[in-house]
Amino acid sequence: MVNDRAEKYRSRVRKPDDFDAFWDHVLRQAAAIPLEAEVVPDPLRTSEDVEVFQVFYTSIDHVRVAAWYCRPARRAERTPAVMVLPGYQMDPPIPKEWARKGYVALSVAPRGKLRSNRQFNPGYPNLLTHNIVDRHTYAYRGFYVDTWRGIDFLLSRAEVESTRIGVTGSSQGGGLTITTAAMRPEVCAASAGAPYLCGFTDAIELTHTYPYEEINDYLRLHPERRAEVEETVAYFDGINFADRISCSIIVNIGLQDNVCPPETGYALFDRIGAADKRLYPYAGHGHDAGRARHSAVADAFFARHLLGREGSL
Amino acid sequence: MTSYWNDVLAALALYPARPEIEALPLRSTAFATLYGVRLTSLGPYRLFGYLSIPAGVGPFPAIYYPPKYQSVLEIIPQGTANLMRSRYVTFALAGRGQRNADTPYAALFPGLLTDGIDDAASYVFRGIVADSVRGLEFLRSRREVDAARVVLAGNDIALMTAALTTGATHVVTTPTLFYQTAELAPKSHAYPLEEINDYLHLYPARAEAVRRTLAHYDLLGLAPRVTAATLLMAGAPSTLLDGAALRPLATALRGPVTVYESQQSLYKDGLYSERWMAGQCGIADVQSILPEHWRD
Repeated sequence: MVNDRAEKYRSRVRKPDDFDAFWDHVLRQAAAIPLEAEVVPDPLRTSEDVEVFQVFYTSIDHVRVAAWYCRPARRAERTPAVMVLPGYQMDPPIPKEWARKGYVALSVAPRGKLRSNRQFNPGYPNLLTHNIVDRHTYAYRGFYVDTWRGIDFLLSRAEVESTRIGVTGSSQGGGLTITTAAMRPEVCAASAGAPYLCGFTDAIELTHTYPYEEINDYLRLHPERRAEVEETVAYFDGINFADRISCSIIVNIGLQDNVCPPETGYALFDRIGAADKRLYPYAGHGHDAGRARHSAVADAFFARHLLGREGSL
Repeated sequence: MTSYWNDVLAALALYPARPEIEALPLRSTAFATLYGVRLTSLGPYRLFGYLSIPAGVGPFPAIYYPPKYQSVLEIIPQGTANLMRSRYVTFALAGRGQRNADTPYAALFPGLLTDGIDDAASYVFRGIVADSVRGLEFLRSRREVDAARVVLAGNDIALMTAALTTGATHVVTTPTLFYQTAELAPKSHAYPLEEINDYLHLYPARAEAVRRTLAHYDLLGLAPRVTAATLLMAGAPSTLLDGAALRPLATALRGPVTVYESQQSLYKDGLYSERWMAGQCGIADVQSILPEHWRD
């Protein structure tokens, strides 16, 4: 029943006519800024099987972005890579587990996260509505670019097999997986869980939980700004990026997701342009989006696309 | 353990809380007003919290969210229906090092769990536990709160706070950090326990000092002080902190205990704890304060 209702939902999201022009301009601005990557060994976090580094690079607006970088101690000369993207409130994890699975792994802390908040720090709650009336300065303009620059970092590394780069995350990390897969053709496989930042204007009516509730808070105090808010978020909505995705992609959602409504997950999946795409809806699951069961699916998916191993799933 | 914590509480008592309370219109609704609260803890250290008061005539049941193991301070936990604030007073506290309480000390995640861990007297959690106690003291001082219905909901810190001070009538706790840590950490590669492994890998000579510090914090030692009704949220069967692993803890608690094993679904687990809290607090129409996608 929930499945039916969510699947049949009609999203209100519409793509602005100049969507591609807007983002092409942002990409040009970012490309003009040198990456200036710094890779610092972290002996505290390094173990016999995984080497851990703290990484810093420069993103748009010259904001310095931090990341964790892990690589298997034993690896091929060129190794497939996975970029891990963080949830809204979570502190970016050290992706040792991905290195243990045989990948070089980068976990990005976009601007405002710990270690990337010296120049930009709107805080939580607040990030979601920071400059939300202006797409040119909205928080997620830089935040998105910070993750896309992570791909540039991976491409700059000699040990990375540049034709085998995957991207993954859940919640906000799922939304960032969508935007990254859309904007970086170097990504060859993507796994997005419980994608946030997809269907902003739908979600604020479908659910009244944080973080989407930040927008309802804002509009309650500033109802006269609704049109500007809706105009801005249309440029940042994952649903509007989705038709640009051409890589293999899987998406998992929870049908009782109280944070990122499943209706928006279906709407997103419908718009994904890739021919090789598959949706995994999990009944009886909330914002975990069936993680406990789905992690084996995601592992097999990346093993097939990045490591060239056929799995049984 | 007793003298260690008695010393902490005595040191905390030297500093008055001196709360400053300021309304936050952006996060206030027709059914609840949100306030930012600043108050002093051990150190002295100035903390920050979010206090939400329902509209209408109290007193109301209260939920206290002690400091979590993350940098972000939430008003209410992510995914909780905002309407929950219409029925409960809620108070979420940032311990030292978390956002809004990160001056002068800004915690790292990972990193906090081992900050100063080789000396119990300077271990950062000595202050954080004191912060949590101070937060409960503040909440209890509010006339809007029904003292017979005060729930502490969180990780180990919730249970520790209930053990160390009065006022908690109910506890919802998900042990994560301080249950047999020295023994369990080597069996895991998952953070935050992996922080212990990282630390001892780099500083093996400090293992005994770390073990001594952790002994003060072990939930098993503090549990006999807890008389509140407790919902013990265990991991899924066959995980590190599953019901079987937590059985000694459940046995050691002095109040009534319900053990719930995770079904690895934030929906099922969350629904169980929301209903448990509502039931304990006499809220009959829990449906009305559940997230939309959790309602029948």
